[in-house]
Amino acid sequence: MTSHSAEGHPAHLEHHFVSSEQQFDAAKMGMWLFLVTEILLFSGMFVTYTVFRSWHPEVFAHSAELLDWRMGGINTIVLLASSFTVALAVHFAQKDNMRLVIINLMVTLVFAFLFLVIKYFEYTGKFAHGVFPGAAFDPHGVAGGHNYADYNIPYAAQFFSIYFVMTGIHAFHVIVGIGVIAWITLRVSRGEFSSAYYTPVELTGLYWHLVDIIWIFLFPLLYLI
Amino acid sequence: MSHAEHHIVPIKTLTAVILTLGMLTILTVAASQMDLGSFNVPVAMCIAGIKASLVIAIFMGLRYDNGTNALILAIGLVLAFVFLVFVLLDTNFRGDTSATQSGTIMETEQLAPAQTR
Repeated sequence: MTSHSAEGHPAHLEHHFVSSEQQFDAAKMGMWLFLVTEILLFSGMFVTYTVFRSWHPEVFAHSAELLDWRMGGINTIVLLASSFTVALAVHFAQKDNMRLVIINLMVTLVFAFLFLVIKYFEYTGKFAHGVFPGAAFDPHGVAGGHNYADYNIPYAAQFFSIYFVMTGIHAFHVIVGIGVIAWITLRVSRGEFSSAYYTPVELTGLYWHLVDIIWIFLFPLLYLI
Repeated sequence: MSHAEHHIVPIKTLTAVILTLGMLTILTVAASQMDLGSFNVPVAMCIAGIKASLVIAIFMGLRYDNGTNALILAIGLVLAFVFLVFVLLDTNFRGDTSATQSGTIMETEQLAPAQTR
């Protein structure tokens, strides 16, 4: 933005900051602090997973076979691709190409929806065969070459409860991310940002990358090993 | 006040990173299909760690930032690591140094479930 206040400051610059640079760095540091709290939130669940896996490694390895690595793998590629498009959006914001910022953010939204659609089919496929979190766990039926009853073994319910809670809270973060990215896309289209001020685009990107990183660990832990 | 330009990560670098991430994803799936014995878990976690590092360093631009953000992340990771190690020390080795009965929590519960509740 080129509008300036009476004192000659850029319009986006809050008066308690010395410069745009300082304001940008402060905002980014605040975002990293928030991301650390997110890491610690998920660390509780990763620790839970590690403790129960260390107690029953063979049950966890066996139960993971029931999750379709193809679905999880495609979702991994989808989320990685969405991280790439968000990084491109920030790149083009820095180069003042706002049209390509909007296009890349919208492609990111498409990937995010695709991720949720695939997750929906995974969840409903499991529910249809009685694979629920907690006490409702009662696998039955045959699908995808698996006899679900073979997975009704002691402590398997622990694995699937952890699976639903971890992927569920991750999916919640994806939904929040869709909302934030849609809002930022709208603001870009209103011409609120430029290479001189694109902090919200940058911070949204950081959040989205963290959601991607969480999934990078969830995929092998739940689907592969 | 000097105006430091923000580092613009070239598209070539971003593309190289996404291609590497894709190949590492294929690699981790391929590795999981092979029986590596006790190496299955460490190999999968190593590949995930490399992928996460690439996203953090390039996509999130941490390597181009001033060091404060990296320090914040490092402190967070250290805290998460302490959390993990101390919980595991408790859940897997509780009472080992002052044992009045042998066995871990899990083994005790399996031997005498009624007494531990």
